[in-house]
Amino acid sequence: MSQRVRIAILIGVLALLAGAVLGVDALRRSTKATELAPGAIPIYVEGKLVGGFLPEDLASLEEVSFVDGEEGKTQQGWMLRDVLRLRVPERKLKPKTRIVVASSSSGKSAELTWAEVDDPANWVMFDLAGRGTLKLVSVLERLDVRDEWVQDVDRIDVGGAE
Amino acid sequence: MSQEPPAAQPPVKARYFSTFRLILLALFAALIVVAKVALRLPLQMPGHSGIFWMAIMIVASGVVPKAGAPSLVGLTSGILAAFLGLGDGGAVDTFLSYTMVGVGTDLALLVLGRRPEKLAVAVTAAIFGHFCKFLVKWGLSLVIGAPVGFVALGLARAMIGYILFGALGGLLGGLTLLALRRAGFFAYLAEKK
Repeated sequence: MSQRVRIAILIGVLALLAGAVLGVDALRRSTKATELAPGAIPIYVEGKLVGGFLPEDLASLEEVSFVDGEEGKTQQGWMLRDVLRLRVPERKLKPKTRIVVASSSSGKSAELTWAEVDDPANWVMFDLAGRGTLKLVSVLERLDVRDEWVQDVDRIDVGGAE
Repeated sequence: MSQEPPAAQPPVKARYFSTFRLILLALFAALIVVAKVALRLPLQMPGHSGIFWMAIMIVASGVVPKAGAPSLVGLTSGILAAFLGLGDGGAVDTFLSYTMVGVGTDLALLVLGRRPEKLAVAVTAAIFGHFCKFLVKWGLSLVIGAPVGFVALGLARAMIGYILFGALGGLLGGLTLLALRRAGFFAYLAEKK
């Protein structure tokens, strides 16, 4: 057997092993039920729970702020796009991907596209409310006054184009 | 008075590795551990230590060109590293990772015909050996459910890192062997037992 054939055999074995690793990993990801830690805000992608956003996650995110036009108050917190990127694969985030941030206690929700969320000029972000919950604020026209903000956010849905 | 014939001496069995070669292999094993502790590359990529790791392993395979030599280097470096508390995944992870680098390189060289001074052979064997380390890390994470650093970066990227740095290490090792041959090191070694 020539040296070239031997090298080709080894490279083939290597490719098989790499394929097996990726296959097993994909299988694990598809079958493993995601568990939600207490206090986490669940994030659903196309109806499937992919994880929860925990208060501890905030420490790893960059803190930002802007002054809202209605009350002249500084809104300080974390960009929704950074929060989503922690749990949602980049391939699931297309410009037209629909993102719904909702609160069951206030009955409010805001529907955005990823393009809007990803644009830093829109300041789509979570502000930490005084009672320790997150509220969604933005400079977008449909989210720039108190009545439109989503207080006590407890669910984020990602998925489906408009 | 009859004289008894002298008892037949049992034939002296030649040892597979001479003491000189065992010392050489132990030195290579120690060198791997020292390199792992002392050499720090400012690369945040999984498997980047494979550059020097696999280079040393390939040189060891060339200097002691016998089946089992890389495995012995892997095993010895694994024991040393585990006792020194290297690695983030605990002693078992460290021991198995270091050992499997040697075993993987050994298996690859067995298939390739044990000529690590040929660059293609050195690179292929080093890729295979280094990939075995990745398999150990990944396999252990499967078995014990322990989080591993490369999960956050993505498996594909981690695998590419291990293959790339393994290949670079193999190339470096192969070139070192060629330089040693040119310098007459192997002629010197042939005079030793």
